[in-house]
Amino acid sequence: MEELRKGFHGEINDVRQRLATLAASVIEAIPRATNVLLASDLEGAEYLILTDDEIDARSLELEDRCYRLLALQAPVAGELRQLIAILKMIGEIERSADLTVNIAKAARRIYGHNLDPKLRGIISKMGDQAQQLFAAALEAFETDDVAKASALDDMDSFLDALQRQFIEAIFECNLAGTIDLQVAIQLAVVARFYERIGDHAVNIGERILYAVNGWRPELTGAARHKARLTGDDTDGIPLPEVGQGF
Amino acid sequence: MAFVLGAMVAAAAASLLGALVRGRRSRATVGSVVAAQEAPANAADTPSGPDYEVVLNALPLGVVLATADGTVIFRNRVAVSVVGLRHVDLLVDAAVDRLIRQTLDTGEAKTERLELFGPPPRVLIVSTVELVARFCLAVIEDISERSRIDSVRTDFVANISHELKTPVGALSLLAETLQGETDPAVIAQLSSQMIKEAHRMSDTIDDLLELSKIELDAPLRQNNIDLAALVREAVERHSRAAAANGVTIATEVSDSRFVVTGDRTQLLSAVSNLIDNAIKYSEPEDTVSVRLYREPGKIVIAVDDEGIGIPPADLDRIFERFYRVDKARGRGTGGTGLGLSIVRHIMANHGGEVNVASQEGEGSSFRLILPMQIGDNQ
Repeated sequence: MEELRKGFHGEINDVRQRLATLAASVIEAIPRATNVLLASDLEGAEYLILTDDEIDARSLELEDRCYRLLALQAPVAGELRQLIAILKMIGEIERSADLTVNIAKAARRIYGHNLDPKLRGIISKMGDQAQQLFAAALEAFETDDVAKASALDDMDSFLDALQRQFIEAIFECNLAGTIDLQVAIQLAVVARFYERIGDHAVNIGERILYAVNGWRPELTGAARHKARLTGDDTDGIPLPEVGQGF
Repeated sequence: MAFVLGAMVAAAAASLLGALVRGRRSRATVGSVVAAQEAPANAADTPSGPDYEVVLNALPLGVVLATADGTVIFRNRVAVSVVGLRHVDLLVDAAVDRLIRQTLDTGEAKTERLELFGPPPRVLIVSTVELVARFCLAVIEDISERSRIDSVRTDFVANISHELKTPVGALSLLAETLQGETDPAVIAQLSSQMIKEAHRMSDTIDDLLELSKIELDAPLRQNNIDLAALVREAVERHSRAAAANGVTIATEVSDSRFVVTGDRTQLLSAVSNLIDNAIKYSEPEDTVSVRLYREPGKIVIAVDDEGIGIPPADLDRIFERFYRVDKARGRGTGGTGLGLSIVRHIMANHGGEVNVASQEGEGSSFRLILPMQIGDNQ
């Protein structure tokens, strides 16, 4: 059977490709930010800030294209879910790029301070893990791989554990007098930035699930809420009518 | 060379384009395209040469052909996946697409250098040029290795200047100060500093000479070497320095015989260098472990420490001459910056290799790997 709405499908594919490239820019920015922090690379920090402006511009352009497609093509079902998911993913990616800039700015604030090797080691691991999470999210998106998208949450718990380990190491270093309080606070914030990048990757995974099968993470909470309202003691399971949109 | 290659790519791409435009992509061959240019009417009957697509696929460059509206109609094998890392490939594709559009808009050839972090880091040159009938050709060249060699060379010159000029400068200044000095206490202090700088200079020259001797690939003194005894001797040599730093050396050598043929002095120097580094970069109460063991077909001497570790970005470069992880040379660990370079050359001379794994804050693990020689290793 001949494909209907060929032009529209071509547009969706192009939007998907551009979103993948946007995510690729963030995957590239994460190790750059880590290097800026570990090598006190001020020039690299400047480069990241400039790159972020470009990512912002591309995000806006992509968002506008999605709105135009929604308005002019009246997509339904899977195509509508896909465009909605992409719109939300743009926000996750753009925010992650901002976080890499925040890391670079923190690096500028602690410029000239030597970091304890233990802290440097954990920063390096957090950077690697955040990049891997984002790369996995990109792969899941490009292949609509629901299993991989679901696995992102588990992968993220490793990054969360690293963040906790890092905070403990900061306290130890501060007690040992190898870093002062101001640097310790900046580093704690940096750890939070990495952790948030991981969370954004997990959110991308959830949007992939929504685009492919309509599942949304908020469904569980919404079902529990509805159960509470109706006095249902099944802990809200199953409640098929909630969230069954498109 | 790059220009000639570029011209050849452009010619091949133009010919392929001709064939594509005529709708004979699958039959676009050297013979047919040349014949097509000379006598288009008889092109199909000419003897076939290699397919142009095959020619372009054999190139180590990425080649992309696009139509006047920017639609890509051909990518060779390399251009499909330039690096093999999905996100890097996407960024390269985006750059190619952007340059193609710029070239089609302006009619001008464009070139852009892409420095991508990876990891591993990559440096690529993307060039675009307009072909006949407003088609556009993009060529992607991976110059990562060339760029790496350039930076090794530049850093080497800077580092060797630093290592040689610093002690000379210090000696000169100290001598000038000494010239007008009459206070015996100050004279003693200055001369002791001068002796220290002279020793530093002498160590660097000694290491440079040793390295050049090893690099010349001079015939090794071939002896049967009992590696267990050699490892114990190397550990013994450093036991005092280790104790002074509060570092424990744990040696693990099995009772089996580990015999290789080679130059005992060189191998002892390699193992000593690694133990020396491990002690220098450890903290008091840390343990340096030295192990000698067998793996299939090889004998391994492993030196592991719990020290400060090596940043990932420096791991590939620590075997370069005069390369320092601590660019400010702030740790004051001494050394000439040639030790690991010497180790690498010694291992190469013995048909072996040295490799390293490290995590900052957790420590480093160096492995000297020697090929097992049949017969004397039970």
